[in-house]
Amino acid sequence: MVAKIIQVVLSPILALAVGVFFLGLARKIMARIHWRYGPPLIQPVIDLIRLFYQKSASHGRMFDVGIILSLAGSIVVVLFLPFGQIAPLSSSGGLLVILYIMLLAPLGMALSGGQGANPNISIGISRKLVLSLGYEVPLLLVLLAVMTRYRTISIVEVVNAQQSTTWSIISLPLFLPGLSYFLILPAILGIRPFDVSSAPQEISSGPMVEYGGKYLALATIEHAFVLFISIALFVNLFLGGAANPVVFFVKMLVVFVLGLCVNAVFPRFRIEQAIKYLWKWPTLLAFVGLIISLVIRS
Amino acid sequence: MSLQLLLVIAFGGALLTYVLGKISHRVRDFFAVFISLVLVAIIACLYGKPGGKTFYFGFFGLGLILRLNMLSWFFAIAISALGALSTVFSLSYMQDRERTDFYYLMLLLVNAAMLGIVFSGDLVSLFIFWEIMSWSTFLLISYNRGPALAAGMKYIIMSLAGSLSFLIGMLSLYSTYQTLSISEISAVMASASSGYILFILTVFSVAFGIKNAVMPLHTWLPDSYAEAPSPFTAVLSGMLTRMGIYGFLLIMYVIVGAAGVLNLGPGILKFNYVLTWLGAVTIVIPTFIAMLQNDAKQLLAWHGIGQGGYMILGISFGTSLGLAGGIFHTLNHAIYIVLLFMSVGAVQYRTNGERDLNSLGGLIKKMPIAFIGGLLGISGLIGVPLTNGFVSKWLIYKTLIVEGYPFLAFAALIGTWGTILSVYKFLHNMFLGQLPEKYKDIQKSPFSMQLPMIVLSLAILLFGILPGIPLKVINAIGISFGFESLNVSLWGIASEDGTLNTINIFAAVLVAAALVWLLFRLTAKSVPVAQEDSYAAGAYVPKDKYHYAVEFYDPLYKMIKPFLRDVIDEFYYWIASLVQRLSGSVRHMYSGDVGYYVTYIILFLALLIFVQMRWKVW
Repeated sequence: MVAKIIQVVLSPILALAVGVFFLGLARKIMARIHWRYGPPLIQPVIDLIRLFYQKSASHGRMFDVGIILSLAGSIVVVLFLPFGQIAPLSSSGGLLVILYIMLLAPLGMALSGGQGANPNISIGISRKLVLSLGYEVPLLLVLLAVMTRYRTISIVEVVNAQQSTTWSIISLPLFLPGLSYFLILPAILGIRPFDVSSAPQEISSGPMVEYGGKYLALATIEHAFVLFISIALFVNLFLGGAANPVVFFVKMLVVFVLGLCVNAVFPRFRIEQAIKYLWKWPTLLAFVGLIISLVIRS
Repeated sequence: MSLQLLLVIAFGGALLTYVLGKISHRVRDFFAVFISLVLVAIIACLYGKPGGKTFYFGFFGLGLILRLNMLSWFFAIAISALGALSTVFSLSYMQDRERTDFYYLMLLLVNAAMLGIVFSGDLVSLFIFWEIMSWSTFLLISYNRGPALAAGMKYIIMSLAGSLSFLIGMLSLYSTYQTLSISEISAVMASASSGYILFILTVFSVAFGIKNAVMPLHTWLPDSYAEAPSPFTAVLSGMLTRMGIYGFLLIMYVIVGAAGVLNLGPGILKFNYVLTWLGAVTIVIPTFIAMLQNDAKQLLAWHGIGQGGYMILGISFGTSLGLAGGIFHTLNHAIYIVLLFMSVGAVQYRTNGERDLNSLGGLIKKMPIAFIGGLLGISGLIGVPLTNGFVSKWLIYKTLIVEGYPFLAFAALIGTWGTILSVYKFLHNMFLGQLPEKYKDIQKSPFSMQLPMIVLSLAILLFGILPGIPLKVINAIGISFGFESLNVSLWGIASEDGTLNTINIFAAVLVAAALVWLLFRLTAKSVPVAQEDSYAAGAYVPKDKYHYAVEFYDPLYKMIKPFLRDVIDEFYYWIASLVQRLSGSVRHMYSGDVGYYVTYIILFLALLIFVQMRWKVW
């Protein structure tokens, strides 16, 4: 019981630390790729503390509740995701629940932004939701392939099955879905070339344009959690999870840096280009993978 | 309390309401609410008291039977409770309309007829109540006249087609078995040939498929939902359409029996497998069509079709999880869709019937209860965890995945993401965004509208956090159909390959939200600003000139619109126009000129003589 409580407290803190570290690292690596020096690694932490002390404007009750809901949703997802062997709530729901609680974050953001009544927000949310429909198609196929292959909807069992045999990404049926997940990862994270919804130069950061002070801070924390969740999901489903948090962290780091290097050099897609891309190659790969898993199963 | 008396109260109450309306509107309103609450109370007391009784013997030598079991109780309590809430909601909504006596008569009659349907123990009584329901529904759909007449006409024509199909099945059963009592037929049906079973299932599936708007029999629904008065749309979408699901359950698992249904036909053309795919198609296409709608009620109506697909998918998949999911989703859908139509109704009531999503906005501050109703309603519709829709969808997904049908699961899951887009637009364009100048002084909804919305909102959360309450009843229904029992606890469902524990999720969300809220409160205060006070990168934004959310998903529209024409509807219209043209040309025969008629008679006689000479028929 005590161990469980410690895990419940520990896992969001760890996730937040990893997420914020990744944010800093991303800026540093991007800067180096662009031949700049870049800010120090702890710059996001400094920014967060500063933002919490700054004044901000609120557009109403939903404007506040939405962002709280969004962040709370992400924290809950973390509790369901195994981080090494730390997985406090993973026995209460499995992948389907994770998939659905992951909805809370964009939905809360959209509701919060909705009350902002700003044209940039409307454009941003519209793009965000369309993009999420875009990557959900391959993502669902990927997750279904994994669940069909291991005949379970529990993420812990997926990890255990990989621990006893081999990583999914190097097994035949799940290689293609794994690749597909890696291809849509930037879309899930909303980073280039899929940063259509935030697009700072184009629509002034979209849904976040009315945010200042603590709202911006919460949105940043939320982004850090999303970073953690989507990469941790990949590591759990395809790279065999890990026996302890350190190994897990190393795996996440490798995936993140790889993704960053690929995507640092791409320009931004337009939204319809993004949809076309997402519904073409990643979907096809995931689809073929799903058929192979289905055939192997029966 | 016997079932006859219950139905006498229901039907008699409806008629008496009409009579009382002639005396005083206030008395009528009280009486209508009173009758519907009495019905809820009686049915609640009947829980767990199964029974049956032949109440009239001698209808062409057939017994008319009423019976009560878990299945009929489950539907009856939902019908009466939602009916009562809609009646309460009607009080202010219908206040200043014409022909309100007639409205209440029909509303109560529809509810009474639905109760009759679920309590019927034989197909004749079922058919009689079914027709009472269909006709009173027709009258209520066309209540508003104008375009509503056309919508009502479309409904009644399709409904009649369904009734005819029902009648064919009924006559065939009677001529084969000389009885129409459900329990007697189900006893002999097990030994019927599989061809005959397939025939009976198909005929009844057409009847119930039309009522439940399964694709390709769905086309009556969007217009009818949109044009009917909002409180009645709530009844229509909540339980009335789902009488189709009741019918499917009755024909598949009571009359034919699970053993007969689940192995009918060869390979992938099994009856229930075809039905699951129809369900899947019904989920995906209408959900995406809903995205293109700009009319609040049309948008919800398309979701009504789409969510019906989940129910069909669940019950026809034929596992105890799937069945439980399908039946539970019927209840859940009823709760949140009624709530959503009430939310639209509340907005319509204050904005002179406005339901165009492109001219509303910002009503959250004016109508907070309607907004909360809308928010919880769409959460249920999406299936956000901790709302009721999540649990039933989870049951369906899980069984599809674990049994190895990922493509059906994919159809069901992607339907959810399509749903998010359209319902966000629904909520945003009504309640978020800018408040138009003309709605600046709008009042909040009256109490008789708020009360049903609050009750339904609480029901959504209650069944989402403690799904064991309804699942216990549903489990009993499944067992009575011969399925194995589920391991249901108050807060979820346990099994070896994936458990759901809603109370843990609830606790986690609660604690996480509390922590974030604390962080939010303890840090620097935010200043409330007016809606015009927003950042536009230095550009001047004229007040009340633009609506930012028109054509909300434009890039996506352009991509998917060509694929989402309702070809089936066009096909039916084509048939209708064909029949019309045919009838039109037949009409030309009646020219009014006696000479023509004489010619017809002579030609016909000549034909008869020719036939006799050639083939010697007579």
